[in-house]
Amino acid sequence: MSIWSEETQVRAKEIISRYPEKRSAVMPLLYLAMAEDGYLTDEGMEEVALWVGITPAQVRSVASFYTMYKREKTGRYLVSCCTSISCMLLGGDDILHAVEDESGVPHGETDDEGLLSVEHVECIGACGGAPAVQVNYELIEGVTSEKARDLVNWLRSARPEVVNTDEMQELFGGVRSFDWAVSEVDGAIGPYPAFQPLGTVGTEVGE
Amino acid sequence: MTESVRMTIDGQEHDVPAGELIIQAAQDKGTYIPRFCWHERMNPVGMCRMCLVEVESPRGPMLVTACTDTVADGMSVDTKGPTVKKAQEAILEFLLANHPLDCPVCDKGGECPLQDQAMSHGPGDSRFVEIKRNYEKPIPISDLVLLDRERCILCARCTRFSDEISGDPLIEFQERGNVTEINTFPDLPFSSYFSGNTVQICPVGALTAKPYRFRARPWDLSRVESSGMFDTSHPRISIHSSQNQILRIVGVDNDATNHGWLSDKDRFGFEYLGSEDRLTTPLVKRGGELVAVGWAEALDIVANRIDLIWEEDGGSAFGVIGGARGTNEDAYALSKFARVTLGTNNVDCRMDDALSSHFLAGSVDRALISDLDTADTILIWAADLKEEHPNLYLRARRAAQELGVKLIIVHPRATGLDDRATHKLHYRPGGGFALLDEIAEGVHPEIASALAAQKVVVIVGQTSFADDPKLAESVAALVRSKAGTVRIMPLARRANTFGALDMGLGPDLLPGRVSVGAIGCASLAESWGEFPTSPGKDTRSILEGLDDGEIRCLLLVGADPVNDLPIGAIARDALEAAEYVVSIDLFLNDSNADADVILPALGFAEKEGLVTNVEGRVQKVNAISPGPGQARADWSILADIADRVGRPLGLALAETIAKEIAEVAPAYEGVTWDLLEWDERDGVVVPIQGSQQINHIPVSLAGPRAPRAGLTLHVARTLYDDGVLMRHSPSLHRLAPGPLVHLNPEDARRLGAQGGRPMRVVTKHGEGDFAAVIDEDTPEGVVFVPFNQPGGVSLGTDPVVRVTAVSG
Ligand code: SF4
Ligand code: FES
Ligand code: FES
Repeated sequence: MSIWSEETQVRAKEIISRYPEKRSAVMPLLYLAMAEDGYLTDEGMEEVALWVGITPAQVRSVASFYTMYKREKTGRYLVSCCTSISCMLLGGDDILHAVEDESGVPHGETDDEGLLSVEHVECIGACGGAPAVQVNYELIEGVTSEKARDLVNWLRSARPEVVNTDEMQELFGGVRSFDWAVSEVDGAIGPYPAFQPLGTVGTEVGE
Repeated sequence: MTESVRMTIDGQEHDVPAGELIIQAAQDKGTYIPRFCWHERMNPVGMCRMCLVEVESPRGPMLVTACTDTVADGMSVDTKGPTVKKAQEAILEFLLANHPLDCPVCDKGGECPLQDQAMSHGPGDSRFVEIKRNYEKPIPISDLVLLDRERCILCARCTRFSDEISGDPLIEFQERGNVTEINTFPDLPFSSYFSGNTVQICPVGALTAKPYRFRARPWDLSRVESSGMFDTSHPRISIHSSQNQILRIVGVDNDATNHGWLSDKDRFGFEYLGSEDRLTTPLVKRGGELVAVGWAEALDIVANRIDLIWEEDGGSAFGVIGGARGTNEDAYALSKFARVTLGTNNVDCRMDDALSSHFLAGSVDRALISDLDTADTILIWAADLKEEHPNLYLRARRAAQELGVKLIIVHPRATGLDDRATHKLHYRPGGGFALLDEIAEGVHPEIASALAAQKVVVIVGQTSFADDPKLAESVAALVRSKAGTVRIMPLARRANTFGALDMGLGPDLLPGRVSVGAIGCASLAESWGEFPTSPGKDTRSILEGLDDGEIRCLLLVGADPVNDLPIGAIARDALEAAEYVVSIDLFLNDSNADADVILPALGFAEKEGLVTNVEGRVQKVNAISPGPGQARADWSILADIADRVGRPLGLALAETIAKEIAEVAPAYEGVTWDLLEWDERDGVVVPIQGSQQINHIPVSLAGPRAPRAGLTLHVARTLYDDGVLMRHSPSLHRLAPGPLVHLNPEDARRLGAQGGRPMRVVTKHGEGDFAAVIDEDTPEGVVFVPFNQPGGVSLGTDPVVRVTAVSG
């Protein structure tokens, strides 16, 4: 008997069916488990183990290797500030401090309300638009310390249902690295990556 | 033969097998390349980089890991030059950046690959001054293994072992980067039957065994090589002791039996030898009490009584049960004692849970353990190997998992190998013959076609006490009729059962695989003189004979039938009815507590001799401890009694007994201690020169042909139980599962069973309360109860069972 909702189970089956070996589905299933509980619980990892036919220790080995699998409660908005080299040279550390200061949440932690989590991360692949920040893995480039503070306050007051790159870039971003191709998804609804069929709202934008 | 290629190692040319790893090829040619992660019996991972060597390549010389690169024709490898040396020093400096220098308080100190290789290949100094990793010390990852994480060098030997070899990957790397560690899942311990192997192969002191931790320094230990005696595969071991106390057992790598691996039972199950409860003096019953007496007195008492009964009723008034725990020399002495001194063939080393003596001792086409590696198909229709023959389990798992051998498992419920089985069938105990008929008729075509292969190994034995022991032989007969070449491995579980049978400890057997009454054992008659020529009684009939007074005197030798028989009550009643019981044993047990005379015996590792395993492989076991008090070897006790009775055995020394065996037992011709000590360290499979007179061709036997319906009992052994040796080995005894009843979720629902709650289980032979375990491994209709558990009751052999929830 699965601890997961009907809907999650359907998704799990669908994901597993894409792989010749079901253990290959361990990573996407971990996101399912996260989406189900808000973060990766021991029970969630045990469930994944059952689904993909490996032991919980092996699942946890994968889960603990990647920092994007959150094994502790994470706020509704996960603010990730890049402090790798390009961003660092252009003020990434200042941005991190601004976010920490404005939110009152030190990196690696979550506020009491469970709204905001702050972390610093290694390169998120936006070096051309450094310094960069992500909210629930949705990217904002060319951020300044002031804009970062604005971002924190906006998340706290507006509490958007969905966060979305284009909107946040418009409000808090600066120079973009290049004109982006059409975004694949409209945004993210939780602190886990917004790939199909997870955490997605809407469908592809057709232009 | 594999092709060979010509390569150069450190300027010397060699021919080496194509496809071999550089590290292996170099080692075989006498060049040791340092290593941590590579292990000959596991797949390479290239994790530690200690094995870097320099290879000439079209792009110039380059460093490669010798444990992942294979040899090639014309390859030139440098293992000692300045570049290699610099690389080795660098790797060691890195490894020691975090590894603590706590060797003086580390169990591994003195036999630690990291310590040794830091000395032989390290820079001798470090540039790292930073603080090392610190962890809580030590954390138990199982009941037997402790982990000091700061010592771990992340070689992945332990994790590969649990994944590739034992198939229970309950430990794995956790976290990453500088904080990577080995660990279990929270609250899911590394409870593997094979956990001790990780302690042995960990190249540092990160994994240590609880029973051995802080007990000794390796250089203080005396060591002797021997064979593990918990089941009939006889894995090769090294026994380590200090001040006459055995402190640990480690596996010895050989191709023949165990590849160096051991079950935790073979590794940690020696504690009973040092138990306070060992018998140390002869005991004689006087006025209802057991009183300690001297040997001379005890032996006189026994001899007098034997004389008396013999005068009155002759040899048929005696019965002998046991003898499977000792050496072949002990067994031979017992066999001769029964025939010559007692004048009876009422002798049996089997415990009523066994296949026929001729099938066990003299089947044609007997399989070797190594045949599992080269088979096309392996059929296992026997006990759950993981529980009863852990060493064979590892070999069969390897065959299926690494060597691509097809594995067919037939068993009442899921076994430890089911996850690797190509085909598996589960059935209700008692319905084995019906299933066999189905297979013969082609109802299971996939199995029939897998069996129609060129090379098939069939492992047969009793799956369940509730199943017919005759089934095993019928299975072998069927497979023989289907496949090309068939190798048969009939299983018996107890220690030296095969050696004992070969020495004639069966009612219809004589030493050397000769059947009682057979013509052609002239040398035996010459040496033994007169002895009865018609078959005697087996264990069950001996007990019945005691019950009805036909047998007056019972000799128990290392046997506890009350506990070991599937229906213990039969033994209990028989022992109560017996006029005179003499027991030769290590302990007081449920069978001998009321015996008339109890004689203290030496145990494993306290005497030298030969033993014979499931393949018919004879190996030498050795002594490292003198044993407690006045305990003596079985053979010498028997020889002394025989002298007093006046029909002597003429046996004076274990080694000369071996010589006598080689002379009179046809299958053992040419098998001497010398041969096994010096020439054949892995043992020899008998017969080597002589021949065996019994060549038993398995036949299809009669049995209940209808499939079983309704709730059916399945009683089988688990690795840890309440056997007398386990009882006195506390580290393992506490791991016995206890009184449990396993039910399928469907049956559980129907019967109102809840996990952990007591259920009443009633059979024809017994009843009791067992805690419910609800598990998918047990098919619907099967009720699995582990045999002989602490706090449990014996349920007998009848498959009909009633299960009800206990209210309240
Ligand atoms: S615990 Fe030992 S065997 Fe396991 S990875 Fe660490 S060093 Fe290797
Ligand atoms: S360094 Fe910040 S995105 Fe690459
Ligand atoms: S032994 Fe080759 S990398 Fe470890």
